[in-house]
Amino acid sequence: MKEDKRKTLAESIQLEVQELKLENGMTALIVPNPKLPIFSLYMFYKVGGKNEVPGITGASHFLEHMMFKGAHKYGKNTIDFIIEGSGGSTNAYTTNDQTVYYENLPSSQLEIILDIEADRMENLLLDPDDFSKERQVVLEERKMRYENSPRGQLYLELMQNLYEGTPYGRSVIGDIPDLKSVSREQIQSYFKSFYAPNNLSLVLVGDVDLKRAREIITQKFGPIVSSPAVDKSHNALVDDMFVPKLKTSKIIAKKGESPNPIFMMAYTSYKAGHPKGYALDVLSTIIGSGKSSALVNNYVLIDKPKATSMYAANQSLEKSGFFFVGGELVRGVKLGAFREELISDLKSYCQTEITDKNIQKVKNNYLIDLYAGLDTNAGLAQFLGERQLLYKDWRFYKEELTQYEKVTVKEVQASCLEIFSQPSVFVSVWNKHK
Amino acid sequence: MKKILFTTLLMTSSVLAKESFLDSVQRMKWGDLDVVWVEDAKFPRFTASFYFQDGALADKFSGLSQSAFSQLASGTSKENQRDLSEFFDFYGANLKHSVTHEYSVYSVQALTRDISPVMTKVCEIFKDAQYPDKELKSYVSRSKSQLKNLVTSHAGLADRIFRQVSLNGTPYTTPVEGTLKSFDALTPEVLKERLGQFNKAKKVLYLSGPKDVKQLEEIITKNCPWSSETELKPLMLNRPASSSVIYLVPVPNANQAQIRIGRYLVSTEVPGKYDHFHFLAGFMGGGFTSKLVQELRVKRGLTYSAAAYVSLQRDYGRAGIITFSKNETTAETIGLIRDIFQDVAMGKIEEKEFLHQQGHQIGGFAFGFEETGAFLGQIMLYDHQRRNLEELLKFPETIKNLTIRELAQADFEIFPWEKMTIVVVGDKSLEKDLTKIRPVKILDYNDFL
Repeated sequence: MKEDKRKTLAESIQLEVQELKLENGMTALIVPNPKLPIFSLYMFYKVGGKNEVPGITGASHFLEHMMFKGAHKYGKNTIDFIIEGSGGSTNAYTTNDQTVYYENLPSSQLEIILDIEADRMENLLLDPDDFSKERQVVLEERKMRYENSPRGQLYLELMQNLYEGTPYGRSVIGDIPDLKSVSREQIQSYFKSFYAPNNLSLVLVGDVDLKRAREIITQKFGPIVSSPAVDKSHNALVDDMFVPKLKTSKIIAKKGESPNPIFMMAYTSYKAGHPKGYALDVLSTIIGSGKSSALVNNYVLIDKPKATSMYAANQSLEKSGFFFVGGELVRGVKLGAFREELISDLKSYCQTEITDKNIQKVKNNYLIDLYAGLDTNAGLAQFLGERQLLYKDWRFYKEELTQYEKVTVKEVQASCLEIFSQPSVFVSVWNKHK
Repeated sequence: MKKILFTTLLMTSSVLAKESFLDSVQRMKWGDLDVVWVEDAKFPRFTASFYFQDGALADKFSGLSQSAFSQLASGTSKENQRDLSEFFDFYGANLKHSVTHEYSVYSVQALTRDISPVMTKVCEIFKDAQYPDKELKSYVSRSKSQLKNLVTSHAGLADRIFRQVSLNGTPYTTPVEGTLKSFDALTPEVLKERLGQFNKAKKVLYLSGPKDVKQLEEIITKNCPWSSETELKPLMLNRPASSSVIYLVPVPNANQAQIRIGRYLVSTEVPGKYDHFHFLAGFMGGGFTSKLVQELRVKRGLTYSAAAYVSLQRDYGRAGIITFSKNETTAETIGLIRDIFQDVAMGKIEEKEFLHQQGHQIGGFAFGFEETGAFLGQIMLYDHQRRNLEELLKFPETIKNLTIRELAQADFEIFPWEKMTIVVVGDKSLEKDLTKIRPVKILDYNDFL
């Protein structure tokens, strides 16, 4: 292979971001980009599945749906119409740690969208009739994502078992009894607790005048009072509450409509930003990403394939993390024997797969992925917002890239041996399970 | 609200006045190869998408083109599959392919500094792919296993069966991905023969990246075994006949039903109306405020999502609706979709909703230019459809001049209920309810794998 003469990962991008901090605790990041008369706005609220309590699981996600149903100033069911009517698009997503709303709009719509966002943060309607209809929509979404999706069942089962007894063990979309019983008042109270300027990172990227954007943001969001409940709620969630209590390995067999067994096996790893997480990210890419990876070569691209697909990833959440391997087996492969072989192989990879060449390969791939992720206004906004929310500093990407650049064979080997010597949760979904 | 919509239209009609994006499109000729280059120096990387005017229509059996591309890097006379995947993965080269019935695309994305080794290797595999027997058997085994497991994705199953049923009797009915039976017919010889046909097919390179990408000319002309001898032959289809039944495909333990409604279009229906049909698809099911989403989801809570599409190749197209509902409301949902089609065709369209959709499509026009890859994708489709690229820039004007009457006419032409094929993938118990709409014919999903 040719010697790599390009810049290091950390040198590969230099982002120029204007930061605005309001007195009420809100942070806004702005990156002007005049290439086209469009912009993307991302609103990162630090609230997700982990902030819920038994009885109101799914509240964050339900609320995400209700945020599109209208607020005081613009009225019922107008938000989508205003955004789409001007040529824009909008959507949102909810995870364990965050709820994110985003809009892509023509430049002319900056003031109105910031006004809408400020309005719904402060004065959400939560109309009872809409609340009742949306409950049905959420229940259908849950069926689509979990009950009718073996892969959804697999992920849900994995999280419930790995994080049993911790806030990450709950379903983000919510348990069915909770979704059926949660009241408008409970959602209202949840909204009041978490939708406040001191729980928001706003990111604006695109064709905007910097001075004007700062003025509008200050004017629309500045008067909204912060919520003292925000810090209290977040401070109550200490890291220890999220540590998986796994003492021995678990094997879970879940009956589901998959004629081929599908599986995920997970080990506890580290929360986002932990120094040991970078080596595990590199490890997961080496063993489970691309046709040349060990898992694909040992189980998929062989004469008599044992799996149709294999993958690995290191998932870093705000308070914890997990390293997982997954795949779909070819019919006829014995699940138990496969699991034993896989556990043994994973340990052997610590000696055979961690090479300088493979680490360089990972860095090359990360650079390509980085460029792809930053290609659009929306991509850059999401990149910055995630870092601002997780690390309270968008600049943390420099640290991440530096850490990846510094990762050595020894570190990855040590991480590999450490992670694969821990207890694991092995979950499979198959129609032959009882 | 109305005031806001009008203001928006005025402001966005000159959305691209800032810069004419067509000026950034350079057309060149590198030997036999037509090249369309859009300079993009944002990052030091390139994307080379090779359009082959050859697709699944020319396959001897289902899935042949798809397999020829999918297994292209499974071995040459000098290197095995592992060597090749190590090579491409090391450079982070992203190799992708897509096959449609009329054309195929092979795309390469990598860092610009790696353009020479990566593209030289791509040329090598096109020149010397051997499709080794061992790797091919493994591929066949995996592909069949995956296909047998398609029942885990009711949406995927519905899409596959809908294509086969709605295009029945035309050459477009065969699945591009292959069938359980056709995978067994794959041999190294038949794949090499198919690759040889692709190497001779008319090609266009759609290229994005900084100026350095021009070095590709030498690499390709020196190393790639390509000519442009064969072109797509026009194909005339008969218009679809009436459809009188609902096809119900039972799947085990389904608590939701996937619904597909639509038909195919023939080449004579389309010319001059591309933008009208695009507008119609957006109006019916192109966002949260579209007719279907408002009626099905927002007003009645019947579904989580509903989408409409009118997708056009050169000689045929497809138009339809994709949605799902819970078992109890599946028949109600289909009945409602029928009523919406018929109401719109009769011109029951409020001015407010029409203006709203105009604002949506005109204002959203600029987003098609944000990613160079997406922009090149639009150019590729226009070229394939033999449309003048100037039409692309006229899109906002065309939409601005569209009338409610023309929208109703487009709906009348595209979604005539009696010609719409309906496929429902769900629980067997739905049969009774669905019979109230049309007679039901039960299909076994295994027959479509």
